[in-house]
Amino acid sequence: MKKRNTFVMSLFNSLLPVLSAFIIGAIIILLIGENPMTTYWIMLKYTLFDWGGFLKTLHYASPLILTSLAIAITFKANIFNMGVEGQMLGGAFVSCILGFSLNGLSTPIHILICITAGILTGMLFAIVPAILKAYFKVNEMVVTLMLNYAIIEILRVLAQTIFRDPSSGYVSTPAVLPSAMFKRLGGTSLTLFTLITIIVFAVMYTVMKKSRLGYEIKAIGRNPEFAEASGMNVRKKIIYMMLISGALSGLAGAGFMMSEKFKYTLDFSGNPGLGWDGMLISLLGSHNPIGILIAAILYSALKTGSDSIGIFANVPKEIVFVIQGMIILFLSIKFLDERTKLFANFKTRFIPKRTPEEAD
Amino acid sequence: MNFQRILYDMLSYSAPIILCVLGGNYAHKANVLNISLEGMLLMGAFSSVLFVMISGNIFLGCIIGILATLILGVVFSVMCVTKKGNPIIAGLAINLLASAISAFVLKAMGLANLNVNNIVDVAGLKINIPIIKDIPFIGGVISGHPLITYVSFIGIFIMWLIMYRTKFGVYVRVTGENEDAATSVGIKTNRIKYIAIMIGAFCCALAGINLALEKMALFTNNMSAGIGFIAIAAIFCGKGKPVRSSVYAIVFGLAQSLATNLNISAGPASGLFNTLPYFMIIGILAVVSVIQLKNNRIRGFKNE
Repeated sequence: MKKRNTFVMSLFNSLLPVLSAFIIGAIIILLIGENPMTTYWIMLKYTLFDWGGFLKTLHYASPLILTSLAIAITFKANIFNMGVEGQMLGGAFVSCILGFSLNGLSTPIHILICITAGILTGMLFAIVPAILKAYFKVNEMVVTLMLNYAIIEILRVLAQTIFRDPSSGYVSTPAVLPSAMFKRLGGTSLTLFTLITIIVFAVMYTVMKKSRLGYEIKAIGRNPEFAEASGMNVRKKIIYMMLISGALSGLAGAGFMMSEKFKYTLDFSGNPGLGWDGMLISLLGSHNPIGILIAAILYSALKTGSDSIGIFANVPKEIVFVIQGMIILFLSIKFLDERTKLFANFKTRFIPKRTPEEAD
Repeated sequence: MNFQRILYDMLSYSAPIILCVLGGNYAHKANVLNISLEGMLLMGAFSSVLFVMISGNIFLGCIIGILATLILGVVFSVMCVTKKGNPIIAGLAINLLASAISAFVLKAMGLANLNVNNIVDVAGLKINIPIIKDIPFIGGVISGHPLITYVSFIGIFIMWLIMYRTKFGVYVRVTGENEDAATSVGIKTNRIKYIAIMIGAFCCALAGINLALEKMALFTNNMSAGIGFIAIAAIFCGKGKPVRSSVYAIVFGLAQSLATNLNISAGPASGLFNTLPYFMIIGILAVVSVIQLKNNRIRGFKNE
């Protein structure tokens, strides 16, 4: 009974913020003189209630699942890796460079090289704040955020100068070679990358739910001093977590590059980027793998749907960012917690209490 | 390389950072991790420029801009103080919201940026201090800044005064050090935290006005470019002490000024110098943390 209670509670804690955010979004849409119901319907019609559209939603959900897992594994331990965005971009950029510069490789080998390089880049950008945090107690949040700005700036310069495609009218690198592209599967939007994501998700589920590392991460999140006192090497675990987080981000970037974008442009990850979306999804799924999977698909529908809003309704698609911000804001508080007696009230009112004699 | 120009820019770039630092210090001392400085600054910049554009009056626009930022501060306080939510997540949400609202309004108005050059005369807002402006080298550095830049430097002293010489300052520090003890002697800790956050919001609004309205008469999307987080780094380095944190803020201002001035002479790779402030912050923060760690006598690992 208690377990079901907490499950219902966490469900409500995820649903209520979303609902409130959508209501506020509706008020804003009303204020600019449009019909919120039509807008929301347009947003969801082509993404969830249409088979081809749903597969497209799944396709876009893949990098989001990876970035949100990257966020979840560190946030669960109260280590705040805000650099997922930068690590993802780094992974994407490196995989793109290898994708167009290595000639004459067969497809599987080329893809493998690019993905490995992307993962390594992500880990490289994650190890710096990890070591600083673990051994020198430098606040990881500031470091990762600053690294984000620095990485974005460096990549922009690189894309504008050395790696710029001279034939393109805007700032962009050349497209990756066909041998480094994930092929679309049977006329749908899905690629092998989605499959890889599902495998990685299964692995991460096992790590977070069933493994020793997952338990230790939870313990560090609850009370790092106690974790250290009971014999865990917290420093080492922080480095592991950050490395996994960086690897997942790098993979997300490389995969998104090779399955969707094919070249690095300045708006590669959109606005707000995949890393920030990952943060929202992870919070929405309360850092729980299954929750993340559901939230990622819903959020991907929201995001791909925002393009339809821009086309079919007279509402700027930036409304989705506003809704996103609202959702995170409401997620920061718990609408219901252990003190809210959701079922207790219900029971005392409708189910008469048994007296001890009756129970016998 | 123009040395005078670098120092002038240093003061100019430091001003918004200092204001954010001064505002953030109170929340830091009251033990509220306020990472929403960035969003509040952006909100201050956006709303002040927007309402100057609508009303055509600089003073009125600034007042409404400050009010809008205070509303954001109230939202943040309700979420983290009254509702006891996670301040990091609420702060992130405020940052995202400020950026989203400004992007949404710009798009709804069909504009790429907000330009109020016809209302605000940027050159006219610069104050030339009578005697100092005639001193050869120093005059060119110190004189000729807009009002809020001067306010920020005077603010260091005022904030120090409030923090260490008034009853309120003591209350703030007691609340941060031991909330239970503060409650037991009858201090309304929630109210203290609210005021601390609101001071932060007010200062960030001033910083935003300084950044967008006074210096450029222009608002572009995401123009804050991490200033709020730079301020947080300065607060961490200076352990929340107004003067010490402000010194770090000025150092970061110098980094930005160097980046801008070096860019002019760097040619195609000019953007690379923009990364200088960010790397410098990481470096300084690391060095300061190592020094603090040396004096640490706590066994084991503590995550603050």
